[in-house]
Amino acid sequence: MCRNYIIFLFAILFLNACGNKKEVLYNFEGQFEKEKGGMLTDAMSGEPSNLISMIAGDSASSAISGNIFNKLIKYDKNLDLASEIAEKWIISNDQKTITFFLKKNLKWEDGYDLSSEDVLFTWKLITDDKTRTPYGSDYKLVEKAEAPDLYTFKVTYKKAYAPALDTWASLQILPKHILKDEDINNTFFSRKPIGSSYYKLSRWMNGEKLTLEASTSSVMGLPNINKLTSRFIPDTSSQFLELIADNIDLMNINPIQYARVIPSRPDLEKKLALYKELGNSYTYLGFNLNHTPFNDIKIRQAINYAIDKQEVIDGVLLGLGEPVASPYKPGTRWSNKELHPYPYNKDRAIQLLNEAGFIDTNHDGILEKNGKSFTFEILTNQNKQREMTAVLIQRRLKDVGIDVKIRVIEWASFVNQYIKTGDFDAVILGWSLSLDPDQYNIWHSSQQKPGQFNFIGYTNKEVDNLLEQGRTELNIDKREKIYHTFSKILLDESPVIYLYAGYGLMAISKRIKGIDSPAPPAGIAYNSYDWFIPSTLRRNEITE
Amino acid sequence: MLHYLIKRLLWMIPMLIGISLISFFIMHLAPGDITASESAFNPKASEESRQKLRALYNLDKPLITQYNLWLKRIIKLDFGNSFASHQRPVLWEIKDTKGNISKGMIQEALPITLMINLIGLLIIFSTSIFLGVISAVNQNRWPDRLITIIVFIGFAIPGFWLALLLMYWTGVTHSWLPISGLHSAGYEKMGHLAQYTDLFKHLILPVFISSLGGLASISLYVRNGMLDVLQQEFITTARAKGLSENKVIYGHALRNTLLPLITIIGLSIPGLIGGSVIGESIFAISGMGKLFFDAVLMRDFPVIMGILTIGSVLTLFGNLIADIGYAWADPRIRRGISN
Repeated sequence: MCRNYIIFLFAILFLNACGNKKEVLYNFEGQFEKEKGGMLTDAMSGEPSNLISMIAGDSASSAISGNIFNKLIKYDKNLDLASEIAEKWIISNDQKTITFFLKKNLKWEDGYDLSSEDVLFTWKLITDDKTRTPYGSDYKLVEKAEAPDLYTFKVTYKKAYAPALDTWASLQILPKHILKDEDINNTFFSRKPIGSSYYKLSRWMNGEKLTLEASTSSVMGLPNINKLTSRFIPDTSSQFLELIADNIDLMNINPIQYARVIPSRPDLEKKLALYKELGNSYTYLGFNLNHTPFNDIKIRQAINYAIDKQEVIDGVLLGLGEPVASPYKPGTRWSNKELHPYPYNKDRAIQLLNEAGFIDTNHDGILEKNGKSFTFEILTNQNKQREMTAVLIQRRLKDVGIDVKIRVIEWASFVNQYIKTGDFDAVILGWSLSLDPDQYNIWHSSQQKPGQFNFIGYTNKEVDNLLEQGRTELNIDKREKIYHTFSKILLDESPVIYLYAGYGLMAISKRIKGIDSPAPPAGIAYNSYDWFIPSTLRRNEITE
Repeated sequence: MLHYLIKRLLWMIPMLIGISLISFFIMHLAPGDITASESAFNPKASEESRQKLRALYNLDKPLITQYNLWLKRIIKLDFGNSFASHQRPVLWEIKDTKGNISKGMIQEALPITLMINLIGLLIIFSTSIFLGVISAVNQNRWPDRLITIIVFIGFAIPGFWLALLLMYWTGVTHSWLPISGLHSAGYEKMGHLAQYTDLFKHLILPVFISSLGGLASISLYVRNGMLDVLQQEFITTARAKGLSENKVIYGHALRNTLLPLITIIGLSIPGLIGGSVIGESIFAISGMGKLFFDAVLMRDFPVIMGILTIGSVLTLFGNLIADIGYAWADPRIRRGISN
């Protein structure tokens, strides 16, 4: 019977094999004319939960809703602010009022006019206390928002607020005519959105896939690729199998797939193109500055010298990352070019530790001070790269006489039991390399209450002042100076040790053309509306 | 018999309350709540908004109050809505004023899991009864050894690893079978027959992987049960009557061997609604396992409690059905209950 089953199984496989089409051979090389049409399929690990981005908190949702809704302004390929549905904006002389002038003839997907009324409505929604959004606080700083006519939207702040433009570059405008009588927290609109941008929702199969279709009434013009399908595949190994079987066109890959797997397979190299872009976040080792001995700057600097960042990048990311010396994207104006990461210098580290009073008196290889060995625990969440990083750090610190233990904890427990209570010595975590330089929430000494983001307890008067100035200074050159000084102090004091900023790695099918390489600061996808799929390279099922 | 049934059913009520109470408190023992995962580390999200959310979901109230609130709703069979930002109903679909239907989360996940598990159960039982009988009849000879080795390899092999290998072999190398998901691209445009074939193809690997682990235990049950029965005197009688060996084995011995299996089938009823997290993740099937796992990670309490409640009801009913089935099949037990 067992044998019968196997034979039966093989029979099914065989029957299927007969019915299956042979793999079509495409010629991906050569010049192609831009044309419209086709479908791009990608894979997502999580399913979007809500396509109203101010309510949703997950990246899958914002990835989809960004294709459906417009913002007033946006970041362009070099990460400078540029117009989106506002054709221009003016900042008043006292720096408190920003006036946006909308483009004319803007339409929603259902044919209604898109006007400043919608923008005002969206602002009211996000600042309404009944709205279940975590992002309202930035917009509540607006004292008065008005729409004097259909094409003008004017906001006045209580005092000048420099990150204001950044907040308007992330607020997706929602249609008033549909949502004015709806409960935003629980509306079907979140699953059946009406937008104004390149794409409209065509079909959403729960747990399986979501398809967007080019919107003919798009205020941005028609994109080249007609359909975008995102399949929800939680397991990245399965995603990769779908990619190499040519069932999906694009996925984020890991360093091993980028540097080892694909380059060693000529058949894959023939159909897949590899791209890398500077990622949006950096990984750091952060100290609890309320615990001794981390309140001593010499200890922090010593540990900074003792960690070989290049080794971490080579070992964990297979070299696919960059060291950073400030919390800003390298290559952008906010990143201070004069700053360099602490070089690896074991002797300097030992010297600093000795100066701080740590000496190995009992010759067990671990330093002591006042009879107590220097030993601490690094906490991190379940993230393979961070775990590997911790191991490399553990080894390097052993070299200089510090005993490190590593503890890996599930995310929700990590946040609630350790971060919120301040019950940790050191953590390995990541922060985003923000586009606006304001990092008041992370470094200002007033932000240390449980649940706030300066959980390492960093307190520095000068930094506080700089952060406050930077928030109210709208002159971009003066602002740049402020944040360059801020970054320098941060690097000197080393409240956190910058470890690396990993590259975003992507494998994209060669049937997708029009991709800029190397990637501009804004990343590969900045011009995805301009990508195209030549009709000779399209899959069968799409042309049928 | 009726008296027995009513007693059993009434007993379920305190049992269910006890189970739900324990589940509720254990669930809350894990640190964190929904606000820890939703935008917990986004500097643009403020602590006040998280507090607001906590108050909205009653997470700031004492545990016992939260439990009472939950109990009051569940008595009306209201499983509530998910804490996640989609706010979907946990159990069953609801219609809003415009006639839009939000499907229930369990409503969508359950049929998929049930389908895979039912087919799996069918395969497990039919295959392992056959394997067990062959093993027992050929005790300690090569077919017995071979079957034991095969089922134990199936039991020991890590499912996710075999799944990935099979996906690679059947999906990438030969493109015989689809790799993941339940439907192909363009499923909507297919005819009915093509749709069924498509679904069937997608189910082959997940069902195969999910049933592989179950073969070992059941086939060993059957083998050992069969060996016991074959040594009994009525088998000798049957042989002495001159019955053919087939009749002895399938007509007399097997029927008696199958009795204990009724209990096992009853006990596997609650297992039918539990999916495998790893299997579902690898095959990108959004069933109950993935739903429960994600809910736990997010601390989505209404979904966790919903699944646990349904699971415990099914477990209790499974036990009951097993007992009734046993009484139906075995006159000795039937008489015991009536007395």
